[in-house]
Amino acid sequence: MSVALDTLTSCFQGLIPATLYTCAADGTPNSAYLSHVEYVDAQHVALSFQFFNKSRRNVAENPHALVRVVDPDTQQGWELRLRLTRSETEGALFDRMALRIEAIASYCGMKGTFRLLAADVYEVLDVRKVPEQPGQPSLVARRPPDAVFTMRALQDLSQRINRADGLESLIDEILQGLDEVFGFNHSMILLPGEHPQSLVTIATHGYPENGAGAEQRYGEGISGLVAEAMKPIRISGLMRGMLYAYAAKFRAEEQGWCRPDRRIQLPGLANPESQLGVPLIVRGRLVGVLVIESEVPYRFHEDDKATIELLGSYLAIAIQNALLQEAADESADDATEATSPAATPAAPRLPATREVTYYRSDECVLVDGEYLIRGLPAKVLWKLLTAHAADGRTAFTNRELRLDKSLQLPEYKDNLETRLLLLRRRLDQKVPDIRLEPAGRGRFALKLSARLALAERP
Amino acid sequence: MIDDALAAFLQQGLAINIGTRSARLEPHAAYVPAARVESGGTHLTVFVPRIGADDVLADLRENGQAALVFARPEDDRACQVKGVFESVRDARGDERPLVETQYAGFMHQLEIIGTPGESSRAWVIWPCVAVRLEVTALFSQTPGPDAGAPLR
Repeated sequence: MSVALDTLTSCFQGLIPATLYTCAADGTPNSAYLSHVEYVDAQHVALSFQFFNKSRRNVAENPHALVRVVDPDTQQGWELRLRLTRSETEGALFDRMALRIEAIASYCGMKGTFRLLAADVYEVLDVRKVPEQPGQPSLVARRPPDAVFTMRALQDLSQRINRADGLESLIDEILQGLDEVFGFNHSMILLPGEHPQSLVTIATHGYPENGAGAEQRYGEGISGLVAEAMKPIRISGLMRGMLYAYAAKFRAEEQGWCRPDRRIQLPGLANPESQLGVPLIVRGRLVGVLVIESEVPYRFHEDDKATIELLGSYLAIAIQNALLQEAADESADDATEATSPAATPAAPRLPATREVTYYRSDECVLVDGEYLIRGLPAKVLWKLLTAHAADGRTAFTNRELRLDKSLQLPEYKDNLETRLLLLRRRLDQKVPDIRLEPAGRGRFALKLSARLALAERP
Repeated sequence: MIDDALAAFLQQGLAINIGTRSARLEPHAAYVPAARVESGGTHLTVFVPRIGADDVLADLRENGQAALVFARPEDDRACQVKGVFESVRDARGDERPLVETQYAGFMHQLEIIGTPGESSRAWVIWPCVAVRLEVTALFSQTPGPDAGAPLR
């Protein structure tokens, strides 16, 4: 092969549809469009086998095939001469392609109709430039100057991260840094949720709503797909539309574990042109997902892939360290001091009354009839508010929450810090009259600027 | 065979490619910047840039079999036209505006799906050869369960 296949991976993003040419045993040629070509390794690509269509019947009789793709960076057309070698019906390649098909099916409102039957793996016998579709290498050079994940930019981001003194400031520095250093002004970080195979939004940047608490199931939307695949996903053009519709469809369905009217909407651009999802992985475990959106088409290039993965690893370790540090700081505190109720300050004169209702069966808090939060953050908030109502307490510690059996925290990796951060963000946006302000290592203060009417319901 | 409505679709400026095959049943292909449906819809002429036409012309002269795929990137509406080779000649100068107009339509389609139109303007669309084909079959290729179904 005169051209290395791995230099053409930009062509396999699906931005410009590929074409597939086959021939039946009786000599009838067939031409068809393909949504995308999957890069397998330096000698192989895979095509999806969904229907017993003419192309598939042809390659079963005559394994010779030709695929044409276009490089979205340079517009160079490439021709790949192929020979069908095998069909895979399970494994990583099959799963990756099936996930994409499922997204397309949902987009069309035909989930269950489109199904990957096999990933057909073709040996690439030859690669050549399409003479009538010459590329323009200068197009690559004309990328926006702020677009690249340069070493200098990574260094700048790293310095910001090193300045962070806790989980909250770390996450803010990451998202702010992505904006100021890389020019990505729409981003969000999701962490593993309370339910298995779920994510919860911990922080966003650049959207009108902060979206803290918005949930995503694995396989749903770009963040859910990243979490499921544990691999970065870049989406451009049509694929983006498909995945958005896919996510919207899932959101509209009853999920069983969360009532639709009590879910927080995930923020997002109305018309993103490019999306990038990066798994944050430490020692094989997913600690979160970073999602970046851009209104610039084809913003994330193949060349950026390695740097993006590196960035993901670095951010994952930074977040993991911040969590461990907060837990360590807290256990270093004196236990007696930590569990002592704080002195009750004089009650200030408070204006309006906010009605706070806790629904036990749903573990859900509503304020003035509007959904605020559910799950562990809801239980924590209810505990704090009822303690304050009982004896006027305003000072609390992470440790006492961790020791409180009624909260039913898991003994190992309870993620209390992230849930408190989530609660704080959600209150900041929705009920600024109730604030949780950090007050030193493992401590925080409840600050109220309204009277509260508490009610508990089954 | 090709009715007026389909002819209008095929000639609006789409992504068009022609596929052929060799005597050893190996496929060949070429980009087609423009197509013209003849009155009556039984024949069409496709314009193939000369620089990329050698393989498909050799195949057409050898066995005559062709399969054209037309697609509109904006909404993925697509169809395949099967045909048999009739003749080939150099495209005339007075046909160049047709080729350029349809190519511009395709560039516009690319812009709609997010690819800057300027980027494909380096593609070679002239000089062309004009390949006349007799239409033998039409198939839908719009994604979905009906993909591959005959249009008539």
